[in-house]
Amino acid sequence: MGEPPGATAVPVAGPPAATAAPGATGGRAHRPSAFARAWAKAVSGTSYLPMTQAQLEALLQRLTDQLAAALAAEPLDLRVGHRVGTELVAAHIASAEGLGRTVEVVQLRLVRDLGLVADDVEDRLARLLAAVATGYARALRDRTLDEQESIRRAAMTARAQAERALRASEARFRHQATHDPLTGLPNRTLFTERLTAAINSPGRGAERVGVCFLDLDRFKVVNDSHGHRTGDALLVIVADRLRRALDGYLVARLGGDEFVILVEHTGGTDDMVAVAEAALAAVREPAVVDGHELTVSASVGIVERQVAGASPGDLMRAADSTLHWAKAAGGVRWALYDADRDRQELARHALSAAIPAALERGEFYLDYQPLASLHDGRVVGVEALVRWRHPELGVLRPDSFIGLAEETGLIVPLGGWVLAEACRQAESWSTAGGAAPYVSVNLAVRQVDRPGLVQEVHGLLRHTGLPPERLQLEITESTMMSTAAEPVRALRVLADLGVRIAIDDFGTGYCNLAYLRDLPVTELKVAGEFVAGLRAPETRADERILASLVSLAHALDLTVTAEGVETAGQAERLRAIGCDAGQGWHFGRPEPAERILERIR
Amino acid sequence: MQRPDWAPDGIDIERPSVARMYDYYLGGSHNFAVDRAAAQAMVAAVPEAPLMAQANRAFLRRAVQFLTDAGVRQFLDIGSGIPTVGNVHEIAQRNAPDARVVYVDVDPVAVAHSREILDGNDRAAVVQEDLRHPERILTHPDVRRLLDFDRPVAVMVVAVLHFVSDDDRPAELLRTLRAALAPGSYLVLSQASADGRSDEERAEAERIYRSTDNPLWIRSRGELAALFDGFELVEPGVVWVPQWRPESADGAEDAERSAFIGGVGRLGG
Repeated sequence: MGEPPGATAVPVAGPPAATAAPGATGGRAHRPSAFARAWAKAVSGTSYLPMTQAQLEALLQRLTDQLAAALAAEPLDLRVGHRVGTELVAAHIASAEGLGRTVEVVQLRLVRDLGLVADDVEDRLARLLAAVATGYARALRDRTLDEQESIRRAAMTARAQAERALRASEARFRHQATHDPLTGLPNRTLFTERLTAAINSPGRGAERVGVCFLDLDRFKVVNDSHGHRTGDALLVIVADRLRRALDGYLVARLGGDEFVILVEHTGGTDDMVAVAEAALAAVREPAVVDGHELTVSASVGIVERQVAGASPGDLMRAADSTLHWAKAAGGVRWALYDADRDRQELARHALSAAIPAALERGEFYLDYQPLASLHDGRVVGVEALVRWRHPELGVLRPDSFIGLAEETGLIVPLGGWVLAEACRQAESWSTAGGAAPYVSVNLAVRQVDRPGLVQEVHGLLRHTGLPPERLQLEITESTMMSTAAEPVRALRVLADLGVRIAIDDFGTGYCNLAYLRDLPVTELKVAGEFVAGLRAPETRADERILASLVSLAHALDLTVTAEGVETAGQAERLRAIGCDAGQGWHFGRPEPAERILERIR
Repeated sequence: MQRPDWAPDGIDIERPSVARMYDYYLGGSHNFAVDRAAAQAMVAAVPEAPLMAQANRAFLRRAVQFLTDAGVRQFLDIGSGIPTVGNVHEIAQRNAPDARVVYVDVDPVAVAHSREILDGNDRAAVVQEDLRHPERILTHPDVRRLLDFDRPVAVMVVAVLHFVSDDDRPAELLRTLRAALAPGSYLVLSQASADGRSDEERAEAERIYRSTDNPLWIRSRGELAALFDGFELVEPGVVWVPQWRPESADGAEDAERSAFIGGVGRLGG
């Protein structure tokens, strides 16, 4: 394979000293002698030799020549032996076996094969071989130490690199775990860490700390109308502006369009308001995203308090609540935390959370308020009013928990219970004989909007045996305004069954009369504030409004019940106007059904 | 939290490394006690182990010689190990000083060592990568910098395939490499074979290598020949490595004792 036979220049052969070795044959091309071939054969396989057999033989021929020359020279130069040993190792003939076989073959054959003659040749050979062995061992030891050192260095380098890579990856991992990938802002984890550190650091008890919760107003509209890509791009812009506007403060993204700002060492709420205003101003600038100019606003909830006694969880929750106050007030503003308001809301919250259990324990009951005919004073109906016999707070009126129940959706089970209970009780009144009053039950928007209202009412009527015309469902004007086609159909089905439908608080809502045309309404309940106006003789406006309402209702074949009738005078005026029925203290306060029934009998 | 999959592995020099064991077989001292202990156990089970390594190394030398004679000037040596005596770049650049060599090894210590040895050689580089990810090898900037895949490249996978299980689909790995090569490129393969060995010897060898990160996966001559798919085998085909273009008649004696089979294939077209 392209190996020139008997090559003389052996590139792998060792140090330059070797080429300058004494000896008449150095550098002269000639075939390897039988001795060199025997030597090559002896060392083959003792270790890996990165050369051809011919190259090996040529190398050993050169060394043979050097040894022969040394044996013949006077004085004996032992350095030649050292160099030969060194050169063997350099040529990778570098193992214990390689030395052993070299000693053996030189000892047995060199003198004989080369026909060397001298009186003291044995003695000289022994000394020369010893020098070869010494040079060899020395070189092999150095080589071994060098190789050990180099592999250890490589291991250390590799380990250092691996550790560096690990540290880099840990830093990256840590960064990923503590930052928001979209905006690059710190995330909730990092924010909570920093807030906790700000609060818990020793010696900070006297300092003050503040948190601003910021949320974009109607961000959903951006997503819905321009797509999430635009929404995300907007968030990136907002994040960038907040970061720049609030340089020095920790700005984090909690998720969605919620951001939070940590202000340490505050001097009071003024500092926080300044931060909140800077944040609001930063957001307010129009942003151009994908060619759309988007103008967004934000709301901010601010909490600022002394570090001592604060907890990160409380601060975050308080800031979140405060943000919702700002939102509820219409957004585009900041709101400051108010402990009293928060306490009230918490109490309200706790109250609403207790509704399901209270329903199960039977803590609710119904009182009824009579609806009396203005013509003959007869009780034509009663309105069911729910009461909560709270184990700690005593009896609660609906205004302290119905609003909450509506917000949380708990109005659905609670309203369902009221409806069922009212139907159940009203049915028993009919057994008392005579024309029994109908029962009027308030329905919340959520109840009306819910599919299955027809089945629910239908089932109740069948189950209790209450005639449909003795049930009246009261809905508010605003319910009707927000009601879609499906619930209107449901109300129509109920009206067709014979159930009475009343509009509650008529005249205080949107007063869009269009629905009176479309809805199967049987009665209007006029809000008490018009009736209150009847007290003062000089305010004729209310009376005129009432008179118009009554004539309007009658023109549409609707009956009119006036709410909030407190005096006989009011009742008389209402009767004169033509109003059909009245409800209020004048006719009776809310009380258990039995009392009303007793009076009727 | 779960560590992501890009988190790097640590370095464990308490485990024997096949690269350093191989260095020991070749008579080198680039190894640690744990490598020597494993290598000595291997020698106790298979006394010819050092001879096998030397025969394989000699095959590598003759193959590189053959390739430079054939005009190849670019070498991609995958699984190069500890770059001790008789490296590809030493042989190739001695024959053709303009030869370019990229070494690839998965062992970080071997790579660090190679880097030190290659320091100052601007026509050779080393890349830490795994044969199991040929696409990463082929796109590595150092590979791209030194090798021009529009011209012939010799891909060397020498004494490595027995560390690649069939589950890793060696045929597919080699096909990926082949797809990147220009006509006139070469593939050099060698690996351990158990042809003619006793079951006990084979089992013992496999047991010893299970303590390393690279268990043994022994193949027959037919299986190795099949991995040259797409290449034309040059004479004498897949043989015991001492029989591959020996330099002297006695070099090929007792060839099956080498336990290594190998061959060289050329990409036609």
